[in-house]
Amino acid sequence: MDNFEKYIQKNKDQFDEHKVDHLKIWNQIETELETPKTISLFRKFSIVKVAATLLILIGAFSIVRFYKISEINFNSEKMIVNQELRDIDVYYKNLVSFQVQLVQKNTKLLPEEKKEFLSFMDELDEEYNTLKKEMTQNLNNEYILEAIINNYKKRIELIENLLKQINTPQNSNDNEGYIL
Amino acid sequence: METNIIYTHKKLVENSKAGDRNSQYQLYELYVNAMFNVSIRMVGSKEDAEDVIQESFIEAFRKLNSFRYESTFGSWLKRIVINKSINHLKLKKIPITPLDHYEYQISEVTNQEAPVLDINKIKKGIKLLPDGYSQIITLYLIEGYDHIEISEILGITISTSKSQYHRAKKKLIAIVNTL
Repeated sequence: MDNFEKYIQKNKDQFDEHKVDHLKIWNQIETELETPKTISLFRKFSIVKVAATLLILIGAFSIVRFYKISEINFNSEKMIVNQELRDIDVYYKNLVSFQVQLVQKNTKLLPEEKKEFLSFMDELDEEYNTLKKEMTQNLNNEYILEAIINNYKKRIELIENLLKQINTPQNSNDNEGYIL
Repeated sequence: METNIIYTHKKLVENSKAGDRNSQYQLYELYVNAMFNVSIRMVGSKEDAEDVIQESFIEAFRKLNSFRYESTFGSWLKRIVINKSINHLKLKKIPITPLDHYEYQISEVTNQEAPVLDINKIKKGIKLLPDGYSQIITLYLIEGYDHIEISEILGITISTSKSQYHRAKKKLIAIVNTL
């Protein structure tokens, strides 16, 4: 430490040259110390803030939960519809393929007649595929499901009619034989 | 001996801790002028120093239970005042460490004459120092903090504190010699 520094340190008391209004500042300090309202207000404000935050969180949680439940319900509903569709599909598909086989194996029909009939079946197949697509787009599922069933029923009915027509003349001839 | 100094005003401090307003007032009376001068040297304005003093005493009395006689009550209180003053300067965006361009000016006064040892001129010279220089001179020479403490107070490294102090001192000598 050099002389300059030592000189300043030795005379540092002379830097305390200012006087303050004791009472004015004390009154302000005392008022502040006696009214811890700022703290309690702050705390109240904090409580309000915490409460508001909690409310917002609960609200947000409820909304998320509501959407989750809706989603779950929607998904389970979708699953039920899909299951229903699969069951119907399996049942009617088997029935239709069985009857189509009957038509194909039938010896009384000409290949052209078979071809014409089966092309008609293909048209109904197309209609069925369109309905199935619509089903995945979640339109009016109940209505579409009904349309799919009708599509199958129409095919079965047509095949049954065809098979009936093929078999009817044969039966009448047999009966005639017996009459004669 | 040192222990006795540390326990200065112990009774007043203990009563103040218990919330005795009269003891608090007596402590305030003992220290208010010294603390006001500490603050005014840091912030440079009477009005700002009054605000700092008020805030410092309120905080000191509220936090008094954390005072464990590891230093004197005066040192503990002075540290609060210094910290509040620094915060005040920061709020007012007054630089607490000198700006770089002053460093170039310092180079002009490297081979200076012997400093004039006149306390009034030195007091005037400190007031004429740029912001940052006056604070570091005050903290080191008048408040008696070492560079480790100054580095903590100003949030700078010890070497920065040392180098800034030496620049500030050179600048102060140059100013004082022209007065």
